This record gives sequence, structure tokens and C-alpha cells, in this order.
Amino acid sequence: MSAKMYRSQDRIIAGVCGGLAEHLGVNVAVVRAIMIGASFLFGAGLVFYGWLWLLVPMAGEQSTEGGKLLDADGNPRLALFRPSPAAAAQATAAGQRRPLSVGFREVAVGGALVIAAVIIFGQQQGWNLQLGTLIPLLVIVLGAVLAWMQLDDTRRVGLLSATKMNTPVSMLRLGGGLALVVTGVIVIVAGSGSWTLVWSSVVASLAVLAGVGLVLAPWALKFWREFQNERAGRIRETERAEIAAHLHDSVLQTLALIQKSANSPADVTRLARAQERELREWIYQDNEHDAGALVERVKAVCAEAEDLYGQAVEVVAVGDAELSERGSALVQAVREAVLNGVRHGGTTVSVYVEAGPKGVDVFIKDRGPGFDVDAVPADRLGVRESVVGRMQRNGGTAEIISSEDGTEVRLHLPSETPASEDAK
Amino acid sequence: MTTTATPIRVVIVDDHAIFRSGLKADLAPDILVLAEAATVEEAIAAVIAAAPDVVLLDVHLPGGRGQGGREVIAGCAGLLGTTKFLALSVSDSAEDVVSVIRAGARGYVTKSISGAEISDAVRRVAGGDAVFSPRLAGFVLDAFGTAEVAVEDELDKLSARELEVMRLIARGYSYKEVAKALFISIKTVETHVSAVLRKLQLSSRHELTRWAADRRLL
Repeated sequence: MSAKMYRSQDRIIAGVCGGLAEHLGVNVAVVRAIMIGASFLFGAGLVFYGWLWLLVPMAGEQSTEGGKLLDADGNPRLALFRPSPAAAAQATAAGQRRPLSVGFREVAVGGALVIAAVIIFGQQQGWNLQLGTLIPLLVIVLGAVLAWMQLDDTRRVGLLSATKMNTPVSMLRLGGGLALVVTGVIVIVAGSGSWTLVWSSVVASLAVLAGVGLVLAPWALKFWREFQNERAGRIRETERAEIAAHLHDSVLQTLALIQKSANSPADVTRLARAQERELREWIYQDNEHDAGALVERVKAVCAEAEDLYGQAVEVVAVGDAELSERGSALVQAVREAVLNGVRHGGTTVSVYVEAGPKGVDVFIKDRGPGFDVDAVPADRLGVRESVVGRMQRNGGTAEIISSEDGTEVRLHLPSETPASEDAK
Repeated sequence: MTTTATPIRVVIVDDHAIFRSGLKADLAPDILVLAEAATVEEAIAAVIAAAPDVVLLDVHLPGGRGQGGREVIAGCAGLLGTTKFLALSVSDSAEDVVSVIRAGARGYVTKSISGAEISDAVRRVAGGDAVFSPRLAGFVLDAFGTAEVAVEDELDKLSARELEVMRLIARGYSYKEVAKALFISIKTVETHVSAVLRKLQLSSRHELTRWAADRRLL
């Protein structure tokens, strides 16, 4: 059979039986029964199980290891191996496949009972079984199972989270498994339960282990580094692909638009400016500034004004604040002031936002010809109502200073809790 | 600002030939371009050979160890007393701006700046002053904090006046307008700005370090 075999995600111990059943197209229960039955033939089933556990990858493991391993053959196969929801539901209803956390203990107890029964049965039949070798053997198996399950867990989440090994429980599992295996091996080799002998063996074997470790460490380190390098390479590749996709979606499209509208300088400026802003935002996105939304909103309204009038609006922000209801009013006032600036100023508009514990200050400055604030007729709602009135209604202040050098709108919104002002 | 009769000699370092020629055409007639360079190595060689008054330095450059403008400044460390560096970039991320300033640049302007403004900036840097864009002023305020705090080291805080000057620059005021608004002379404004630049370059203030670390500048 050419189809690749994978261990099942839906498992009791390691998903070997499930995977084998799916691979052969046989019922899982039959495979399990055969496996358990085979275990009684001098442990053949156990050995086979362990062998498959070691060599057969977990279903879905490849996908976490990177796209490279997902060949055309492997990809559809993976989907096939995922149990359909109906089958899964059926299985849970039958109580056959339970999540590991629930099922493992019962399985362990059951396995121990079965093994005990085999031993007793064997004794009665007069087989020459020696408990002295059998118990250490069991200890080794138990230790190996413990350690391997640990490996499965980390592999399942993906090798990226190999650091999961640092959690105390997993370390305990791995350490416990190792200790059990080592003890079992030593007891078998020492051939008796004599403690003095065991101790000297422990020291000797630790020394041997240390020696082997010393020799193998450089290789292990080399492999680890190569693995890391490869991973870094893959990450770079993914990033590159993402950047290429983004450039294609944004910059190339805009460039095409610019070529089309080459006759209209205003359109070209606007397109270029909007694209520049978008690209900047993407490249220099500052995660820290996402927390408070006020600056984000101010930048958004400035971008809107820029798009509407094709006039640059430079925003400089210091600090940030949460966007409250009053903050939203402030943003609206900023919007009006900026629109006013790009409409009448005709030059770059500078916006400076400073958000601190005392409140938020916003300054909107343009270098237009300016206007006489007092001469603005009362029926012109623009400035008086939407900027000054709005700020006053929300407990803030607005000042408009205009001269022939330009106009500056100064908005101040004090902090909502006066207590913080005292604390300062 | 010193308007000398002798032209200001500059070297333009940028990896885009189109930008270099455009900039050359934009610069005022009293600014003389001695040489151009496109990579870190070329730039170091050209600056050392020409010993110009001002180097217009792109932050992102190919070559060297991949550190761009910072590496050029480090490579010309011996000239720092006579040659001033004015950083020039399309980027206005804190990382680029602050790292090149801390490497020793006397100012930072974005490439979208007009020809008159950049000529003005070159003259200012040549005269020994610092050039702060609104955004750089914003970074300074962000890094040093906008509140007046008591700290032992003079390098670690901005004085009340320096804060005021930085705020006005961040608001888009020119030096002249700052001077007018604060009723001080332009020379005094320049002194304040230079002092802030020095603090930005030398301060090891805890907040600045943390601010920089947050933005992966260290």
C-alpha cells in the first residue's frame, strides 16, 4: 500500500491503532483487539506498537514543520486521515475513543492488570518467569511510555513550542520517565535487587552516560543549530512572501493607478500620498500605540482630510490616551480644524497631539494666509460651533490664533478624573 | 545661523542616483557638492577624502555591516569635530531617527522636505546648530517625558525652557516662530536645541533606555 501512514490524532495512548486502522481500512476495535492479543505472544504486540509509535509520524505533524514537507501526495492524505465529525461523534458516543486526559489512567490500570494476569497465568502454567527481570522490564516500558508521551505532546503543538519542555509538569514527566528507564536497566543488568550493587552500578552508568554525552554534545549542538537556521530561513521566506503579497496589493496597484491618471497632478499627489501613508503605517506600525485609541483616531481623521484635499497633514504624537466619549468629541473637533486648515491654509498642516495624565492637548497649525477670528460671521457654523462650541460642551477649551503667518488651533481637554491632576 | 560668503561644502550619501541628482539640483547656489557616494564604504572614503563641512547622509545604505548611516558616522569618527552629519531619510520611525542621532548626527530631516528647507538645514548644521524636525521633537518629548521631573543627572532631563522649545517645534513652528512665541532670540532657541541634542546623544537616563529598548533601539 502506497498511502503514507500517520498516527491518529484521536488516540488513547499514541494513536498507533487508530492510524493503522485508517491505513488498512479496518475497524479500530479490531486492530486494538489484535494488538492486545498479540501482546500475549511474548509481547510481540507491545514491541510492534512501540516500533510504530517511534517511526510513524503523527497526523498533522508535517504541517507544523513547514510547508516544504507538504508534498502533493501528503497534503490530501492528511485531510483523509482526519476523522469526520460524524465518525468522531459516533466514537465518543460509543465511549471507545476518549481524550487522553480521561482515558490514560484507565488504560494504564487495565494494562497493569492484564500484565499481572499474564504473569500469574504464566506462573501457573509453569513458565519459568522470573519476577526479578520482569518487574524492571515493566519499569523500563513505563518510563519509556512516559517520556515518549511527552515528546508527542510537544511535537503535536509543533516544534516551535519545544520550549514547552520548560513547564514543570512536562519536565517532571520526562525526568520521571528517564529515571524509571535508567533504574530498570540497571536493575536488570545488575541482576539482583541488592542495593549496594545497584548504587555502584548507578555511579558507573552515570559516568558512562556523562562520557557519551560529552562526545555527542557537539553533534547535538550542531544539529540543533542547523535546525534553528533552517527554521529561521523558513520564517524569512514566509515574511518575504508576505511582504511581496502586500506590495503587490498596495504599491503596484497604486502605481498602476498613478500611470493611468498621469494627466492630473492633483490625483497623482493624492494617490502617492495615500499610498505613502499606508505603506508607512504598515512598515513602522508601533504595537505600543495600539493600546490607547485616541492617537489612532486623530491619525485617521488627518488621513481622511489628506485624501479629501490632497494636502499633506503631518501628525506628531506624544503619549496616548483611551478614547472616551469626550475624546471622540475632541477627535471631531480636530477633524474640523484640520479640514479647515487644508481647505484654507493651502500648505502642509502640522498636527501635534500630547496626551498626558493632565489631559490631552492638540495643536493644529497651518501656514495659510490666516483670517480674522472675530470677523467670522455668526452664521458660519464651521469654526465657532464645531470646534469651539464642541470643546466647551465637553469641558475643554479651544483657542484660535490667526495671523498672516498662519493659523493655529489649540485644543485642550482636561483629564476626566481631577484626582490624577493632584497626584501629578 | 551663519551666512558665510564662502560656500558650504557638502557630500551627498544616498544609494538612489535619482534622489542624489534631484537633491543636488534643489540645493541653494551657496552649497557646493564635492562628492557623492552610494554605499557605506564609498561614503567613508569620500568623506575622509573631501573633508566637507556637511555630509547629507541617508540612514539606509547598502554595504558595510548593514548598519547604514550609523556605520558611516562611526567610520568618520575622526572628522566629527569639523564635519557635521545631517541625516536624511524617507523613514521616520523612532528606530532610524534616534539611532542615527545617537551615533552623532546633528539633525534629521525627511526626504520630502523642500529644497529651500534643506538648504536652510544644511546652513544651520554647518553653523554648528542642530536641526530638529517636528517628528524628532516628538520623539524627544516621548523619550524624556513631557512632565518636569526631578533627576540627579543634568543630562537626564529637559529644562522647562527646553521642553517649551521642543513642544513648539513639534507643533510645526520654525526656529524663528519659536523665538517670537517665547520672546527670546533665535540664537537662544538654537542653544536650547543644541543642548537637547547633546542630551539625546549622551543621556543614559533610565526612561530613555527603556523607551529605546521598547522600540528595539538597543
